[in-house]
Amino acid sequence: MTTAVTETYTIPVGPLHVALEEPMYFRIDVHGETVARVDINAGHVHRGIEYLTTKRTMLQNVVLTERICSLCSNSHPETFAMAAERIAGIEIPERAALLRVVAAEVKRIASNLFNVALLAHLVGYETLFMHVMQVREIAQDIKETVFGNRMDLGAICIGGVRYDLDEKTTGFLVGSLDRLVPEIEAIVQTYRTNGSILGRTRDVGVLTREQAIACGVVGPVARASGVAYDVRAVAPYAAYDRLPLEVHVLTDGDVWSRAMIRLAEALTAIDLVRACLRDLPDGPTRLAETPDIPPGQAIAKSEAPRGELIYYLKTNDEPRPERVKWRVPTFMNWDALRFMLAGAKLADIAIIVNSIDPCVSCTER
Amino acid sequence: MPTDLLILVSVLIFPGGLFAFSLGLMLKGVDRRVAARLQGRVGPPLLQPAFDLIKLGFKRTMVPDSAAPGVFLAAPLIGTVAMLLAVALVPIAGVYTPDPRLGNLLVLLYLLSVPGVALMLAGSASGSPFGAVGFSREMALMLAYEATIVLVVAAVGLRTGLAEGGVVTFSLAEIVRHQQEHGAYLLDPLMWPALGAFLFFYPANLGIVPFDIPEAETEILEGPLLEYSGPALALFKVMSALKTVVVLSLGIALFCPIAPHGIAGLAVWLASMVVLLAVGISAVRVSIGRMRIDQAFSFFLKWPLLLAAASLTVVVVV
Repeated sequence: MTTAVTETYTIPVGPLHVALEEPMYFRIDVHGETVARVDINAGHVHRGIEYLTTKRTMLQNVVLTERICSLCSNSHPETFAMAAERIAGIEIPERAALLRVVAAEVKRIASNLFNVALLAHLVGYETLFMHVMQVREIAQDIKETVFGNRMDLGAICIGGVRYDLDEKTTGFLVGSLDRLVPEIEAIVQTYRTNGSILGRTRDVGVLTREQAIACGVVGPVARASGVAYDVRAVAPYAAYDRLPLEVHVLTDGDVWSRAMIRLAEALTAIDLVRACLRDLPDGPTRLAETPDIPPGQAIAKSEAPRGELIYYLKTNDEPRPERVKWRVPTFMNWDALRFMLAGAKLADIAIIVNSIDPCVSCTER
Repeated sequence: MPTDLLILVSVLIFPGGLFAFSLGLMLKGVDRRVAARLQGRVGPPLLQPAFDLIKLGFKRTMVPDSAAPGVFLAAPLIGTVAMLLAVALVPIAGVYTPDPRLGNLLVLLYLLSVPGVALMLAGSASGSPFGAVGFSREMALMLAYEATIVLVVAAVGLRTGLAEGGVVTFSLAEIVRHQQEHGAYLLDPLMWPALGAFLFFYPANLGIVPFDIPEAETEILEGPLLEYSGPALALFKVMSALKTVVVLSLGIALFCPIAPHGIAGLAVWLASMVVLLAVGISAVRVSIGRMRIDQAFSFFLKWPLLLAAASLTVVVVV
């Protein structure tokens, strides 16, 4: 070729795009097949939920926050309840703390597998996509059988949990986890060796450790860039301080590393659930009475499947909170997309965006 | 029957036209079904591609404001007509020998590149940036795989020509006749590199994974086809179905045209089409992911081209 491609044109990715599970708008200036500039435009699924929380009682808000987003639907009420409990000075029963971990980790397994499956779909490897989704179905069955729902578990209440494990559900849970482990291990092996996956994800969308720290990314995105930050380890809540938690860290910071971190964390989640079931003491699963939340303010944070989730709660004399504000992991992570997409190929945009596992409805509430 | 009429029949009814149209749709149905089974799904009914066509036939063709309407609407027609002619150019062993006036292997090669050109036209005429990306990708991909197929065809033609005591032949009928008399090239180890290269040509020419790059749905939303709807989109689907027939039957004619005469020959031919489809297309596309255009480009300039060049060299030397 004697003449270089000099023309730059603009490609809209979103707000509705097959590769995006949720509406998000990227205005991408493309130079040939290479990305020259990215504009990220948000706000398409703003539903005013933050405002809505101040119009609901504390109890109603547990239900409302669960509906912010389906993939992290357990993390939101859990963190909200933690903030409320902190204001009221409530210690939840030991059995409830462990059951909260069970609910959170089961959600994490399903959420991480979902993202890893989407990666295969975006790479055009439909068979692998369907296989991973099939494996995720085991986690969905757990949710449906133990909690009664496939997405929103309804597991959390202020002062404990709203579900309990009996002999039957425990047996099903253990059996399902035993089925999951070899399946996920096989998926890990596939993602580690398959040429199609490696060719499209290695050294793609790289976020260096310095950039990761500068952007303040959280969750698997941070841990794939060598930042060993996991709320469950640095600020343990529920029962994480007494559980064998392994924080996985990789240093390459590419799309592949992020997928591998998610798979490894799905396996760790299974270990955590098993440890919970082993140590599960008898006792109440919640406080005897629904507690009143006194005036005050508190911050609580937890590790959602996508990373650190922070809730700020301010209450006054009324049954409704005065202010609820939350910061979701995607809010921190999507700014880093600018670094990941810089100089990327057009074909890799969807793969890179998916690699931060964006949860747009959490972010825009 | 006058030969002019025969030519017309071969283009419009058998083996081109109606026959190829129904066969192409059926092959598409079989492909979807086989791929679904390999993925552990049930898959759509065999007639699903036909149902899709009927549905599209009842819809409107929207022409975007930014499009060049003439080229936009002509592109699918050009592609489909080229494929109708191309089907009539490929002999079916023991059943059909094309009239020499229709053209030879070289004409077929040109016709085979028309659908790609039609897609490029469509992409650039649609006025969509995704179409433009599809255009440039289609062009890069064509540049990559055309060299391979030309070398493969040259190798087969040369082998036949030399064996017949002449020089290179570009008559498919002669290539088929030679193999019927002396055995299929499928069983000739010297031709295996050419066969291997040809198998790479399949997914690239038919635009399926890992080479569905110009239309990559999750990247550029079907690229050139993005703005098409209704009957115009249906025409593109017909083009693609016909192209499947052409490329598969070309493979059979080049490498394994061994079949009895008459209806039995047709049955054998149909069976080998289905087998080739299942092995060469369906199985490939479910077991691999999509390449990036730069990866596909350098891949094609490496292995398939090397194989094709090797086969040509072997044919010349031995």
